[in-house]
Amino acid sequence: MPGFRDRLPDEAEVLREAQESVLAEMRRWGYRHVITPMVEGTDVLELGIGAEQRRRLFKFADARGEVIALVGERTVPVARLVAGKLRGAPLPMRLCYAGPVLSTDDGRLHQRRETYQAGAELVGAPGTAADAEVIALAARCLEASGVKRYQVDVGHAEFFHGIMDAVKLPDEVKDAVRGALAARDFVALESLLEGTPLRSAEHELLLRFPALRGGVEILQAAGGLVRNRRSERALAELAEVQELLVAHGLGEVVSLDLGAIRDFDYYTGITFEAYGPELGRPVAQGGRYDGLLERFGRPSPATGFVVQLDLVYEMLSGAARPPALPRIDAAVAWSGSGLRPALRLGSTLRLFGMRAVVDTQARNEAEAKSWWRSVGAVNLIHCSSESTVSWTARGQRTRRLPPEQVAGRLAGGVA
Amino acid sequence: MNAGRAQGARKSTKVSIALPTGALMPGALRLLAKSGLARLSADELGRQLLVDRSSVRVILVRPADVPAYVDHGAADLGIVGKDILWETPGAHYELVDLKFGGCKLVLAVPVASRLNGPETWPPQLRVATKYPRTAEAWFEARGQAVEVVQLRGSVELAPQVGLVDAIVDLTATGRTLKENRLRIVATLGASTARLIANQASLKTRTDAVQAAVGRLRKAVTG
Repeated sequence: MPGFRDRLPDEAEVLREAQESVLAEMRRWGYRHVITPMVEGTDVLELGIGAEQRRRLFKFADARGEVIALVGERTVPVARLVAGKLRGAPLPMRLCYAGPVLSTDDGRLHQRRETYQAGAELVGAPGTAADAEVIALAARCLEASGVKRYQVDVGHAEFFHGIMDAVKLPDEVKDAVRGALAARDFVALESLLEGTPLRSAEHELLLRFPALRGGVEILQAAGGLVRNRRSERALAELAEVQELLVAHGLGEVVSLDLGAIRDFDYYTGITFEAYGPELGRPVAQGGRYDGLLERFGRPSPATGFVVQLDLVYEMLSGAARPPALPRIDAAVAWSGSGLRPALRLGSTLRLFGMRAVVDTQARNEAEAKSWWRSVGAVNLIHCSSESTVSWTARGQRTRRLPPEQVAGRLAGGVA
Repeated sequence: MNAGRAQGARKSTKVSIALPTGALMPGALRLLAKSGLARLSADELGRQLLVDRSSVRVILVRPADVPAYVDHGAADLGIVGKDILWETPGAHYELVDLKFGGCKLVLAVPVASRLNGPETWPPQLRVATKYPRTAEAWFEARGQAVEVVQLRGSVELAPQVGLVDAIVDLTATGRTLKENRLRIVATLGASTARLIANQASLKTRTDAVQAAVGRLRKAVTG
């Protein structure tokens, strides 16, 4: 089926390991793991996601005729959880999750319809310290998964809302401006603004949107142009978050992006996106969504993010030096009365943390060598009796040793 | 798709631009030359498909493929007709109207047809086009039921052999329509060449990409 695919071991293991590293980092920051179902009622999902996202859900009716959907993201299910089962739990609450999400994207551009995400949500914490925490956590999650080079662009939804409040345009033109920005169509935006007689600093800012990006100096530059409270407050918050991220040790990777175009109906404050050097799309994204929990009956501020694990995999496998793929350390073959020592040796090696495969049928040493190659292990160990085994490391000659010594040498080599 | 791998060892200061084959190619090459980014002949690019200059890499691809190259980050920038963007909305930024390659997307019927304005349309109109998405959206906005037959080429033939009532197709001069005894009854939109940019390129290599955008913008107006 287009958009769906199998992950073979080389990819599956890296993807899963990235997921586990990301979740482990989240837990180190005190985020508790939750697992929400693969499906949700569309009534739940519709509370949280826009029309375009709703259109892309895989929907079907269950036996009772209720319309349910495969989840396309997990922030909304987590919000349902916080306002429902976890209603009595004190705020702020830190939760994390991981798993596949699905979308019926028409396959024209985003060929993947099943992707893997890991995410974290910090619910019940307003303020820039919480904003900075999730951004720093997202950055550390990328590092934990093995990503070396990345950058984080921090923006603010209110900066845009303030401009739209202040800009002197008829309502229908404002709607068209929003539409053009959402479509990232600056040609349409330009012609919309050209058609209006009033020119203001806000006009200029809108036209320069994709270029409003840089270090803290951009805040001063923009501050000189905006004359509205909402945008000014957004700039002040961005300055605070930037400072806190320096304290988090992330000053080097953070840029400010006042022209970040995000889902402005959903995000209410600080937003961010993380990019890799050679990736056409953000590898992680998130931000503040203070309006969502209210729709589930537990009004609370909230902020969070997701890491796109498929893109993390792409970065890891496309990096100049790909990470060493998980491999099999030892192939343990046997013949004659060698099965029992082979099983014991396998257990010992695994105790040392090595990956060992013990053969399920007897083979002589010559046959064992071809089996070894098919397993792709680094070492071949052949047991023919209780007392002696022969050990062949890749590219070296075969040695005969007592079994305990083989385990010891292999373990020494691994450490 | 492997957005990252396609870029290989590209230097981070070098900006890559996807150019379309076909009608827009000469205008795109003229604009590149005028902007000072690269002086290339159609022959050279047509032969090599990929040309590296000191500050830019130029890639020649089919017009409909330009958005794919840009959206996946294999090219930082792309020059493409607005007509293609109607059909292929994506995550790219549409930055500059390059003001060449002007043409219109029109609804045309056989000269002898009784069809004219909306009041003459049947309950269900059969339309052939290379632009199914745009055509469907346009008719839907007008409350007209339509059966769209997607064709890859020679759309103007379809009504003559009775496949459809009308066509939605691109025309610059109207000559092909006239030659095929078709007349225009409505205009769906006007198209020119546009400069599009990959969203991540604008963020991760802002200076180099914005500089190239600035030079192309200047070449349009200057």
